[in-house]
Parts: sequence; C-alpha cells; structure tokens
Amino acid sequence: MIKLDANKIKEDFPFFQKNQNWVYLDSACTSLKPKQVITAELDYYENVSACASRSSHSLGRKATEAQDSARARVASFINSNQKEVIFTRNTTEGLNLAINSLDFSRLGKKKIVTTVLEHHSVLLPLFNLRNKNLIDLKVLECDSEGLISLDQWNDAINSNTALIVTNSSNNTLGTSQPTGEIAKIAHDSGAFICIDGAQGVAHQKTDFKKDDYDFLCFSGHKMLGPTGIGCLVAKSDLQKSMKPLVFGGGTVKTVSLEKAEFLENYEKFEAGIQNYAGAIGFGVACDYLKKIGMENINGHEKKLAAVAIRALEEAGALIYGSKEQKQSALISFNLKNAKPHDVALMLDKFNIAVRSGFFCAQPAMEAIGAKEGAVRLSAYLYNTEEDLTKFKEILLKVNELYS
Amino acid sequence: MTKEAFNCVFRTITLRPCDTDLEQRIKAELVSAVMPWSITLAKILNKNFAVFSWLFVILTLASLGYMLYGAYNFYYYGNCDGPTATGACILNDLTGDYGRFSSPTELIPPTEFNGITVGPEDAEITIVEFGCFTCPYTKQAESIVDSLLKQYNGSMRYVFKPFPLPNHNNSYQTALSVLCADKQGKHWELRKLVFQEQTLCSVEGSTAIEKLAVEAGLDMDKFNSCLNNQNTKNELDLYIQQGKDSHIYATPTFFIEGEPLVGPEPISDFKKIIDKKLSD
Repeated sequence: MIKLDANKIKEDFPFFQKNQNWVYLDSACTSLKPKQVITAELDYYENVSACASRSSHSLGRKATEAQDSARARVASFINSNQKEVIFTRNTTEGLNLAINSLDFSRLGKKKIVTTVLEHHSVLLPLFNLRNKNLIDLKVLECDSEGLISLDQWNDAINSNTALIVTNSSNNTLGTSQPTGEIAKIAHDSGAFICIDGAQGVAHQKTDFKKDDYDFLCFSGHKMLGPTGIGCLVAKSDLQKSMKPLVFGGGTVKTVSLEKAEFLENYEKFEAGIQNYAGAIGFGVACDYLKKIGMENINGHEKKLAAVAIRALEEAGALIYGSKEQKQSALISFNLKNAKPHDVALMLDKFNIAVRSGFFCAQPAMEAIGAKEGAVRLSAYLYNTEEDLTKFKEILLKVNELYS
Repeated sequence: MTKEAFNCVFRTITLRPCDTDLEQRIKAELVSAVMPWSITLAKILNKNFAVFSWLFVILTLASLGYMLYGAYNFYYYGNCDGPTATGACILNDLTGDYGRFSSPTELIPPTEFNGITVGPEDAEITIVEFGCFTCPYTKQAESIVDSLLKQYNGSMRYVFKPFPLPNHNNSYQTALSVLCADKQGKHWELRKLVFQEQTLCSVEGSTAIEKLAVEAGLDMDKFNSCLNNQNTKNELDLYIQQGKDSHIYATPTFFIEGEPLVGPEPISDFKKIIDKKLSD
C-alpha cells in the first residue's frame, strides 16, 4: 500500500505555488526543491555563513557541525558510514574522482567493464584513460529492450578485471540493473565496482553496505537537494589508496617545502572551501525523502509510469526500452513524423516541461534505436495523475499536428 | 533574442544552417497560439512553416523597402507618400529654395491679389489659387474652380497665381505661356488645352505649347514676343515669390478669404468655407 499523497507533497514546493499551471516532467534532469531544503540553505547564509573545519570561532564550529550533520544524513540515507561520504560538486565529479583515483598499474590489471547505457560522465573519463592506454575498456551492449543480462556481466568479468562502472538506473530508459548481483560477480573476480547512482539513488532504496558497492556516486539536485552538491561514497579502506583529483587547503595534516602529509578518508578529497550550504540542503533532502519512504516514492513512480505509458500508447508514440522493467517514472519516446525537440517545444508552450535530445548518453540512445534523439518524460514524487492527464491531452493534440 | 535572430539571419544568408533552435521556438510559439483556435490551421502552419516563414521574410523586406522609400520621400518632399501621391503636388525643396513647410497651419495668406483674375474686384469672396499647369492635382481641381465660378458668379473673385513647381518638367514655360494668353484675353482657352494635354506639355515643352497656342486662336507673333519679354518673366517670378512668401509647399493651394485649403479637396469643403464667409 503506497502511503504518498502527491497533492499534499506539492504544498511543500514553492515552485508550484508560484507556477500553478506548470506540469514539471523533467525531474531526471533536475528535481524541484522543497521549502525545507531552501530554508536550510538560506539559514546557513543568514545565520552561519562561516568556514567549516577551519575557524575555531563559534560560527566556524556551527558550520562544521552542520556539515558533519549533513554528511551523516547522506550516509544514513544510503546506509553507509559517515566517513565514507566525500562531497563533490555532482555525480560527474564523483565518477571522475573514483575512476581516476585508482592506480591500475599497482593493481596489476587494467580491464574496466562498463555498458553502452551509461551517461557521458561515465564514458568520457573512461575513454580518456583508454586513450592514454592506461586501461582496456570493455563496453557491454544491450538488447533491443535496453537490457543487459547477468550472463553478459559474468562473461565479461574475469580475474583481469580491475573495475566495473555502471549505473543502478539509467537516464535514458528508466530501467535498473541488479547491481547487488553485479557487485558480487565483480568481487568474486577481485574487481571493484563503481555505481553511477544519479538516477537510481533518487528513485529507489539504495543500500551501500548490503549491495556491497565500492564506490557510489550521486547528486543532490536530482533528489530534491540543491545544485552544485553531490557525493562519492567510497569504502574507507579504499580511500586510503585513492589519489585525490584536486589538491589544496583542508586536505593535509602538515606541509613542508619537501613533502605533504595528507589527511585520511574524505578530508583528503575535499580541497578548498566547500559548498556548505549545498551540503546542508543535501542532508535535509535526504531526510525529506527518508521520511516519505523510498518504497512509497518508488511505488508512486511506478504507478505514474503505467499511466504515462497508457497515454503515450494512445498517442501512438514509440516508447523506448522495456515497459515491464521500468523502476522509475522515466520514459523516452518519439512521436511519428515529429522531431523530439519540436515535441518538447510544443509541450513547453502549454507549460509542460519535458526534455529532448540525447540526454548526455548518445551511445545509449543510438543503441536503443533513437538515433535522432528522443523526448524524455520523468516524473517524481510531486507529480500527480492529473499532471499526466494534462500531459496526455496536450500530447494528443501535438500528435495530431504531425499526423 | 535579437542577437540570436541576427546570427541566424547571417548564417542563413551565408548558406549555413542556424546553430540555435530559434526557428523551432518561433514555430512552436506560433503553432501553439493557433492550436486553441483551430487544430487544422495549426497543422497547416506546422507542416508549411518554411513557406510561411519565407512569406513573412518577403513581406518584412517589402515593408522595410517601403519604409525606406517613405523616409526618402519625407526627407525630399516633406511627405512619406512622395511628390504625387498625397492629393497635392509637393515641392522638391532640394531643387528650389522654398524652405521646408508641410502643414496648412504654416501657410500665410497672400496680401497681393494680382494674377490671372476672374470676377468683380469688389466681390464678397476672394479665392486665390497657387497652381502649377503641369501638376495633375491642379488639373484635378479645375472642375472645382469651374463649378465655384458658376455657382458663386458675381459674388466671387478668383485669382490664379501661377506657381510652376521646379520638380515638374517644363512647368515654368507652360506657366509663362498661359500668362501670355491672358495678355490676349484668352487665358481660359489655352489653360483648358494645357490641362487637357498636360503630359504632352511636360514632355515636349515649347513644341507642344506652341501647337496648343495656335489651337487656342492666339496671335502667335504677339504670343512669341510676350514669351521672350523679360517683363512677363518678371511677372511670373513675382507670383513665385509671393508663393514662397506664403510658404506654399504643394499645389494647388487655395486661400478662401485667407483660409487655406491644400489639394483638390471635395467641393463641399470649399462651399462650406465660402458659405460661412458669405454669412459672416
């Protein structure tokens, strides 16, 4: 039984109070922010506004406490240890840090396995290492439904594999993978696993410990938090051998002109003054989602996905990927004879926000047959069935324009 | 948006595709505006947007062209519609030294009533006309003058002051000829023929006027002598100067007891002023 009243949730979002006639269906790009998150960020700037982990004055101590608290909230949200959470700007930075922090020559193996369904923020850092001949890259293809089987993973991962990088839920189809099982396959072969959780963590219950991930990256802004904040969750023992991506203040115990002694754990990776307000907002967003319950959110999204699929089928839209395997209300589609960008612009004229294009995952889009891109609808906990009724009404008219 | 639009236009005329989605956004804006009215029309617009776009581009360029033409006319003639399109012949002040006037409120009624005159000197009403024999609007006003002379016969004095416009070919020579006909008491005869063959007079000048003078029954020796007489030219120059002094900017310009009327306005306008003056 889903315990979620989207209409009531809407009341928490100032966006809807100021834009009542908008239907926001672009949450996979970035989600809307509840007043709790906005207020928490504002509170930092109005009442604290100081550096954390540096200044010993009371405001500085307040900032440190607030940031530590935020780190604990984020850690708790995905069931990890507070020290495992490294704040980054976003998922992209987290992935870059994880992928570049491993010393493959020391590991004695350089095979990395990924999939065609990844975001550019996974593929491009890997391509960069491949181009420098530092890794051998294996990219798993998907079937026509956009699915990758466990057999494919089993076949691809062997004792030469150093790292697996993949998403828990992809941003083109809204389908998920059994990442816990993939992690087991990886570990059985002595490989690490890095999960791109940008779309997964925001929409499904994620358990870092239970699924035994080595690295997990996600962003605050896709899960009701502020923009400019995300994190890389990395196992504590792994952090010791990881190389930082950025060097600077706040990362060292001592520095002489000859050498620097780095701090351990997350501190080593958070160089310079951090986005404290963002981190605080991120923590509040995690609490907000936790309070509602990720199972409830996921159940609500699946319900919305079913309604959206019926609407799209009525409009004769081509829906990409498996309809049955959808784990969130994220659907990519195209209308016959219409360019995706034109459809998105027409919907925009009727205050319906959807995204169009390749969603920073061009190889994935080509693999699923959307060579010219697609339109992407992505609903979240604040969307209602009424939103999708309005979407359907306008979509049918737009479809008529191109029929 | 303006910068984006200009960039798009520049790329289009240099045969490169527009690198922003401006065109699609404009299309969506227009099609969505039509959709609530008629889905069929919206569909037609959507499918033929390129055709409609080009149509609008052509209309915009044509409109821009007309705007520039209007600005040109305003600069040269003091009127956006050009020298012959306003219901009066506008002076081309670049070819003369008449100054820049363009409104009846700037006109100053003449104080001299010399010229080609018809009607009693002590008439209750005096109408002065500054006209050009090669101006189509002066020609158009002839029927009004005829009607007024008939209707107000005896109570109206009509004074015609030739005011040849420098931007009309052979206007000076034609005006001089009608003045000379007046010396022989045959001004109406030649005047009617000149207006009748106005284009010919403009194009051929003396050759055409001479033929018309013969047809009007003028003594050609006297006529030619008059044309060459400096006094006749002085007289015409005097009328021109009087026109300048009155700030004439277009022909025909009438002064009905000092009240100006520019162009061949409806006869009712003339009558209204005349009747009012008569009743005062």
